[in-house]
Amino acid sequence: TTMSSAAQAIQSPKAAVDSLAAILGRALPESLAAAGDPAAALLHDDGVARAVTGRLRGAGSGAGQDALCGWLYGTFQSGLPALQLAVLRFVPTLAGVYMSRAVSRKPLAGFEAVLLTLYAHAVAQRGSGEAETVTLPNMAKPSVYHEAIKPAAAAPAAKTGKADDPDVAELSPALEPHGSIRATRRGRIVGAVLELYHAKIGLMPLSSKMDFCEFCVAWTGKHRSDDKARIASAESGEEKWRRVPMPWELFQPALRIVGHCLLGPTNSDQLRTQAARASQCLYLRAMETMDARAVLACRSLVRLSQMVEEPIPEPSFAGVEANMAELETMRANILSGKK
Amino acid sequence: MAAAAESDNGSEVGPTGDSGAFASPVKARERAPESEAGASAATASESSETRVDDGNIQEAESSLREGLSLNYEEARALLGRLEYQRGNVEAALRVFDGIDLQAAIQRFQPSLSEKPSSKRNNKLRSDSSNSGSQHAASLVLEAIYLKAMSLQKLGKAIEAAQQCKSVLDAVESIFQRGIPDVMVEQKLQETVSKSVELLPELWKQAGAYQEALASYRRALLSQWNLDDECCTRIQKRFSVFLLYGGVEASPPSLASQTEGSFVPKNNLEEAILLLMILLKKWYLGKTHWDPSVMEHLTFALSLCGQTSVLAKHFEEVLPGIYPRTERWYSLALCYSAASDDEAALNLLKKSLNKNESPNDINALLLAAKICSSDYYLASEGVEYAKRAIGDDELLDGHLRSVGLHLLGSCLANESKIASSDHQRSLLQAEALKSLGEAFSLDRHNPDLIFDMGVEYAEQRNMQAALKCAKQFIDTTGGSVSKGWRLLSLVLSAQQRYSEAEVVTDAALEETTKWEQGPLLRIRAKLKAAQSLPMEAVEAYRALLALVQAQRKAYGSLKNGTEERDNKVSEFEVWQGLANLYASLSYCRDAEICLQKAKALKTYSATTLHAEGDMHGVREQTQHALAAYLNALSTEVDHVPSKVSIGALLSKQGPKYLPVARSFLSDALRLEPTNRMAWFYLGQVHKHDGRLAEAADCFQAASMLEESDPVESLRPL
Repeated sequence: TTMSSAAQAIQSPKAAVDSLAAILGRALPESLAAAGDPAAALLHDDGVARAVTGRLRGAGSGAGQDALCGWLYGTFQSGLPALQLAVLRFVPTLAGVYMSRAVSRKPLAGFEAVLLTLYAHAVAQRGSGEAETVTLPNMAKPSVYHEAIKPAAAAPAAKTGKADDPDVAELSPALEPHGSIRATRRGRIVGAVLELYHAKIGLMPLSSKMDFCEFCVAWTGKHRSDDKARIASAESGEEKWRRVPMPWELFQPALRIVGHCLLGPTNSDQLRTQAARASQCLYLRAMETMDARAVLACRSLVRLSQMVEEPIPEPSFAGVEANMAELETMRANILSGKK
Repeated sequence: MAAAAESDNGSEVGPTGDSGAFASPVKARERAPESEAGASAATASESSETRVDDGNIQEAESSLREGLSLNYEEARALLGRLEYQRGNVEAALRVFDGIDLQAAIQRFQPSLSEKPSSKRNNKLRSDSSNSGSQHAASLVLEAIYLKAMSLQKLGKAIEAAQQCKSVLDAVESIFQRGIPDVMVEQKLQETVSKSVELLPELWKQAGAYQEALASYRRALLSQWNLDDECCTRIQKRFSVFLLYGGVEASPPSLASQTEGSFVPKNNLEEAILLLMILLKKWYLGKTHWDPSVMEHLTFALSLCGQTSVLAKHFEEVLPGIYPRTERWYSLALCYSAASDDEAALNLLKKSLNKNESPNDINALLLAAKICSSDYYLASEGVEYAKRAIGDDELLDGHLRSVGLHLLGSCLANESKIASSDHQRSLLQAEALKSLGEAFSLDRHNPDLIFDMGVEYAEQRNMQAALKCAKQFIDTTGGSVSKGWRLLSLVLSAQQRYSEAEVVTDAALEETTKWEQGPLLRIRAKLKAAQSLPMEAVEAYRALLALVQAQRKAYGSLKNGTEERDNKVSEFEVWQGLANLYASLSYCRDAEICLQKAKALKTYSATTLHAEGDMHGVREQTQHALAAYLNALSTEVDHVPSKVSIGALLSKQGPKYLPVARSFLSDALRLEPTNRMAWFYLGQVHKHDGRLAEAADCFQAASMLEESDPVESLRPL
């Protein structure tokens, strides 16, 4: 009921800012109140991010009475896309802290309410019972980018009748509606929320992605001792984020997000470094069970992280040399003519 | 006038006189490697030494115009290029700023876009006027392109993109029907190609992802007459952008697609298409090999579980690209992920041959992993795992622990099919030792803890098994159903039934309805074990309702897949109810249930065995025996039937005792923890007068009675 009363309160970006200010008070930067575009400020302002994530990570967060969870819930429920983005921005911290603490089976009704509302949104968006699929191209058919490529001579005989069946792969299985988070469905629910985040990741600020990579490393439980020190010192709370079970339904969306951080368009070396670390840890985690699918995907990310991106070609001045000489002569002529 | 411009151009040129500035291109080229990075170029241009002010530009420009009879734009273009080439990006920019591209286009347009009436009329193109204006166009367009480059180097990506886009717009308006193949001056073509390639990268840097996407498509779908390498680079970058960019994109427009063609409907499909095209191009020799393409495709196809398709692409890669053992390992991963373990193992065997890479850690671990899922490959798996952990270089704790874990699993499996008790106990001890060592290296690996728990339970060390089961639930936060089941079964083995029920109930709380089957089955068996028949029947009823609802929801009856999906089959439920009724001597009810079970699965050793039990209850010994033998003929190693035959025969007088003994010993060979087998074997010994042996058997039976879980621990 706490959650629904918060939901009713938030109907505009301004209301969201006011409501957040009531919860976080002085932790918020003063500039927020005066922001011209409050929703954008909630999404992009580093001060806001620090205040909110700091609280989310803090001891005792995520309980049923957690006002900040109520705010996230209500803000997402507003239905305003710009505000929903501002909530999605905190998914890495929300999911990160939640998964780690859920292993210890602490009561986290606040986090769960937010995650469930995000999950319900994903279900509604996808349509209940609909899997997300990928149709693989049949190279024998042309496309906008290529002409039909005739398969090798032996192939048609082997595949008669099958040629027209496109290979349809399942990227994400159908989502069942859930009214509560049962432990055995936790991975799927959080995984679907990560998919939702991934769908908007192009709009997410850098620090949000950094948060995800950090938690991803902690989730794998594969960071070395020196990393542990770093992670511990990075946060004031000193809470040690526990290793979490990573079934494929959670592992796969995590991998997609890390893939974006590593290879998507970014100007941040810091993010790339952090993402490279995360993919290394995911690789080790995949090797632990020798899950071939995960090993393949992670191995590729690790290898790609070590490859150098081909630079954009520089202008070439080959052939210009002749022009230059010509130009020079002409110029000399001009000068001599003038003299 | 010109001299002023030169000397202002910088001290690097020095006071060498009039020709110094224009001699410097050589120097500039020498310097070029240093100033490749945009940043260093930018700093160079910021220094006062290289400053060019507007006055100087104008002077230089007017002298050029006079001397070379160039127009205003052309002169500026030449000057700007010179500055750019020297790394004076800011200066170049100031020169380029004065160029009015629109005006220039207006001038080029008539002469270039005049389409010859006949396609054959190509001569027109070589007219001096035409090539002259092409040259001029080339100069100006290059200047704008260089301006874009300069802006980019100064970190002004948006402006850079706008400039670069204007080059393409201009080219499109000049060549309205696309760039002809052969008629364009080389320099112009180069500028066009470079700009086409540059534009999406600039939008990306500017964070304008929708524009980047559109410009990638524009690059690939319009006619720019790009060469193969350039086109390949663009396709590669575009596929990466689609795959990882996280940009919500609409698929390419339907207008540009012909009937029967493949139409990608989202980013991932489009990316996979482009990556496959790139591989084909390489395969056809149109482009050089780029390892990243295969890695991107591997990532994309693994994400959606299409590793068998991926395997085809690995097979197509020409020899010499990957070392063959590496290719075999990659292929083995693909097949293993596609559940074709046999093919995977065959490839790994090739790779692990002593003439190839016998000590490849990854291949050894994967081979051991595959072997660990099959009893009959267990000893092979042990070899692989031992080789993996025997490698001195494998000091990495992670992989060492993985190797030890797999070794333990394979040893445990091997012990199941051991030919002697002695060998069995050796293998069992070794299995636990390996698992323990693995655990000491990695204390947080739940799968390892689980396997240890099962192994302890199978070796009837229930105290240790209980500890593992609890620890597994702790490390997984109760999120893995099999952990709850293990805990409940271990408690049941300790005859702590009410605790086992509490665990089962807690597990039901954490499980969605559709997945509750195995837990409800355990609950029913727990009730039966506590002699609560009515509650057991009730539990079976709940299970039956679930199973039937599942059948309705999923349509067909897929017997056999249930076990893998961890679902309970309807057959199993009727069978369980039949056993329950039979144990209560409710023969008619039991028979009805058996009929139901038989209707679902005609030849089942379990059903035939239960039928035998029914006959046994009615003291129809011959019928009972016949049923048990039928059960054995459908399943040679059906242990309960062997035990029942032994039990039955042990009561038939001394003549039958040797046969009874052989059936019971056989059962114990297959299942050394079968309590009833020990009990009846004891009976046989007693009837035969071997009292000491009888006592041992009874003792074994009574010890086992206290440690028999309500259902088998494998597969959990």
